[in-house]
Amino acid sequence: MRVAKTIMAAALTTALSASAFAATEADVEASFYPYKNGVPSFAGLTAGMTIDQSNADQFKDVIDPATLAFIKQGWTTITVGETTSFDLHPNYVQATRDGLGKVKLGATSGEIEGFVAGRPFPAEPSLDDPRAGEKLAWNYKYGYNWGDNAAIYPFYWKYKDMNSGKLERTIKFNFHFLNFMHRVNQEPIPNIEPNPSQIFRAIYVQALEPFDVKNTQLLIHRYEDDLKRDNAWLYLGFQRRVRRLASGQVTDAFLGSDVMIEDFEGYNGRINDMEWTYKGTKEMLMPFYNHNDLTLSEEHKESDGYQFVEMTGKGNCFPQITWQLRKVYVLENVPKDSNHPISKRVHYIDAQTFTIPRTLIYDRKGELWKSWQIGQAHPDHHLPKNKGTGVAIDDSFTMVDVQAMHCTTGQFKGQVDPALNPTKKFTVQNMRASGR
Amino acid sequence: MSEITNSVGRSNGWRRLPLIAAVGLAMSQNAIAYTSEDGTLEINGFVENATYQRNGEGLSKVRNTAQIEMAKTLGDVGRFSNVGVYGTFRATYDAVDHFNDRFGRSAGGPVFMESTSGVPASSVPYGGGIALPGGGLEPGNVNDGLVLLGSDLHDTDGGVGLAVPVRPCDKDSRGCIDGYMDADTNELRSPEFNDRWDFIRELYVDASLPQVDGTEWSFRVGKQQVIWGRTDLFRVLDVLNPVDYSRHNIYDELEDIRIPMWMATAEKHFGATELFDDLNLQFVWNFDKFRPSNLGQGGSTYAILDAGNFFRAMNNCWDNGCTVSNFANGNTATDFPKNVIGIRKAHMPSWSLDNTQFGVKLEGETKGVGFSLNALTYRSHLPSLRGGIPADNPFTGSVESDIFPYLIAFDIHFPRVNLIGGSLDLYSDSLKSVFRVEAAYTDGEEFANTLRPRLFSESDVFRYVIGWDRPTFIPFLNDRRAFLLSAQLFGQYLVDHERKRVNGIEVGIPDKELNHIATFLMKGWYKNDRLSPQMIVAHDFGAKATTLAPSVDWLISDNLRLTVGANIKVGDSAQKFDDCRACNPFPPATGPVGAEGSLAIRSLAGFEPLGRFRAGPIGMAQNEDEVQVTLRYRF
Repeated sequence: MRVAKTIMAAALTTALSASAFAATEADVEASFYPYKNGVPSFAGLTAGMTIDQSNADQFKDVIDPATLAFIKQGWTTITVGETTSFDLHPNYVQATRDGLGKVKLGATSGEIEGFVAGRPFPAEPSLDDPRAGEKLAWNYKYGYNWGDNAAIYPFYWKYKDMNSGKLERTIKFNFHFLNFMHRVNQEPIPNIEPNPSQIFRAIYVQALEPFDVKNTQLLIHRYEDDLKRDNAWLYLGFQRRVRRLASGQVTDAFLGSDVMIEDFEGYNGRINDMEWTYKGTKEMLMPFYNHNDLTLSEEHKESDGYQFVEMTGKGNCFPQITWQLRKVYVLENVPKDSNHPISKRVHYIDAQTFTIPRTLIYDRKGELWKSWQIGQAHPDHHLPKNKGTGVAIDDSFTMVDVQAMHCTTGQFKGQVDPALNPTKKFTVQNMRASGR
Repeated sequence: MSEITNSVGRSNGWRRLPLIAAVGLAMSQNAIAYTSEDGTLEINGFVENATYQRNGEGLSKVRNTAQIEMAKTLGDVGRFSNVGVYGTFRATYDAVDHFNDRFGRSAGGPVFMESTSGVPASSVPYGGGIALPGGGLEPGNVNDGLVLLGSDLHDTDGGVGLAVPVRPCDKDSRGCIDGYMDADTNELRSPEFNDRWDFIRELYVDASLPQVDGTEWSFRVGKQQVIWGRTDLFRVLDVLNPVDYSRHNIYDELEDIRIPMWMATAEKHFGATELFDDLNLQFVWNFDKFRPSNLGQGGSTYAILDAGNFFRAMNNCWDNGCTVSNFANGNTATDFPKNVIGIRKAHMPSWSLDNTQFGVKLEGETKGVGFSLNALTYRSHLPSLRGGIPADNPFTGSVESDIFPYLIAFDIHFPRVNLIGGSLDLYSDSLKSVFRVEAAYTDGEEFANTLRPRLFSESDVFRYVIGWDRPTFIPFLNDRRAFLLSAQLFGQYLVDHERKRVNGIEVGIPDKELNHIATFLMKGWYKNDRLSPQMIVAHDFGAKATTLAPSVDWLISDNLRLTVGANIKVGDSAQKFDDCRACNPFPPATGPVGAEGSLAIRSLAGFEPLGRFRAGPIGMAQNEDEVQVTLRYRF
């Protein structure tokens, strides 16, 4: 009897949340164009100004706690830029409209029904909705993060001692992303077939330098069924073999960096692995900028003239970029697995793009462990090929381990280019064929 | 004496040179990689010094290596895409014989052979055993440059004893087997510079041919390694390339010790299908002239199972005669004339279409399971000793060239082997573990067998490996980074095994009918993966022998890596088996007429020659504990 009541209550809650928070056309407009009627403001905050130790407290309400602490310690500063709209591709917006009223959460975490493409839950989240956090997580998972496909080609990671500033390692990668399902822009739409295991998305990584990791390759298949565990494989050059990875290795330091595979893009795991809690909506300074307007690094200059984001500040651990005051959703995720190496993440999700530019990561004791920042560049002020793609380009990152006083920085050359991401690149066989 | 003195004096001056040279090269600003402006040509490589010290023996390796790796991508060429040329070139110089005169041109010396009967004494100098009517040792077969076979592992202990010439074949040609184990000083020091041009480790062309249906053919032609299977260390399916065990027994990465062969592969990539997430069909044709695995020549620093020493001792017996400990009556050192016992020659397969090797592999991925089905017909990379060759009866004084059953006189053959097998891997979420399985069934393999008149028999073999990988946090050792725990169980079952116990000794096939070897790896990472300690343990259940191999890898910079390790063996070492002294090949001199091979009179066993197959590669290297230091600079 008690079981029956519980099931009924759960069903009622689901029905209520579905009806009470059903999205409308107006929600779609508000979700994708939050700055249509004006950009946010904060007393004393102006474009072009610098926030440093001297004035940090004045702006503590619009700066996340970790960044605020860094500024107050003199490790970094924030240069404020104009808030601009990062319009996502119209096809993605249209797919969202097409899905209005058709998408709902399943009975349990990790289940979704009726989704075809676009943003599944464009309605404004509500603190009254017990599953609002999950909906934000789904919006992120099915976000237009890199569009239907993209490559970071190349991608420099640098390991640094924050105290001494010593550069310990420089690793050069190529990263490739491909959505197998829910595609909106590039044929085939919406799905690549055949796809017998219903792979939703694949990530392929190839290490190019230095030579001890050269030929290391990583492939991750994420399945449409969120309850199904990712499959991951690693090709090690010195073994010339593809090894299937145990999932535990996605919570391990990737190639010794401060980043775990699960951190990729902000969060790179299953929705069902975490408890998601929506903590509120804020207007905060986020690392959004026009790449071509920055003073860029002279190091690693590409033959086409492309230059990477410069690093500066304590230990050269902070991208030299500008920040925008933007609407963000604060979303907390707590691992369900008690053996997970972290106790929680606090994500600051950009409301317009559903990218995750800022994440604070807490260790098992609940103390701040890492600060994860992914700078977003406007596609129209980046490589010519990215113009008009409607993709917020991941363009710079820093993962600061505040306990170890160590950081890993990332410098991207993001390219939204289907030619760089053919389907065959995302197969285990490609790892063998590409391996040397 | 003067040669020995000079050697010691020279070693004082040379001792530090290799390490200094390697470090000097490492720091050289000239040692840089090259990438062409258009990015289509890349050249890089490394220089390395590996210096190993063996407990009680001194240096066992002072190897300096220079390796160049080249990649030239050509893009689309005609109908082909992804065309490229790839090469790896390696040169090594192992200077160990400059520092340790246990190896090289001054190795060995005079030896004494046990004679437990006391006739003519309890031990006699080589060449001093009782003479047989057929004659004695050849004039050049002197008591110098020799060591007792297996003496670093066991005493003769009343068993068969042989002496091994241990100097390079240009210095001492005794026991050198033409075309198989006949390396001279320079070839031992720089094994890449031989008549097979091994300094070209790999050189191949890649090309792809896209099909209109979305599938693709890819081709790779040239000198290459083709790797099958999913397991580490063990070669169940990974048998397309022979292996160079002379480099460091079984302990080097297979990547470094597979012997690349000229091969062609054609692979059809079906991609995803209605049933499979990925499906591929590969054809492999090894059109190179046959090469066996390099087991290490007699007298060299690493000889797996000590086989190279055994072969050399036996070949010397055949060519030049030899003194054998405790042979006559099972207790008297005996001088055999040539062409009686030993190894006559190695039949190295010549190049012909029939001697090439062909394999097929179907590999794919479905429902979270990776799988392969494999089939291969190839020549065994390991030698088979086939008795039944024409020999002389040393008790008659005349030359018969007749076949004597159960006579320990052999030719070496490399039989054709047919293999079918498969592999799979999968992830278990509940156990947070990856499981790997690999299995193969072969026919055509041959094993020593003292129950058979030709002292060998064929047996089908089933081999398998079950592997388990699990990243595991061990908070008291590192609360930020998981350790990799990896274990494997290797099993080998001889389907046609023959073994009997008679008169207190084991006779038949020395290998166990079913044997297992287990390995365990625990690897950790610290300092952002720049410091990585690991421990490898391997245990041979049949041999009751264990290896412990701790090491620490320190990535000093993006280019410079220092590895310090050890290799320690514990457990049983040499083991005894029927040595066929009582096989009675020459009745009535060696036993009753008509009782050749009779089990009734078999009662003699010793460490040599067949105990090695019971001790296995770990047990046979029990006294080769080492400390190892390797410094590699990549550019």
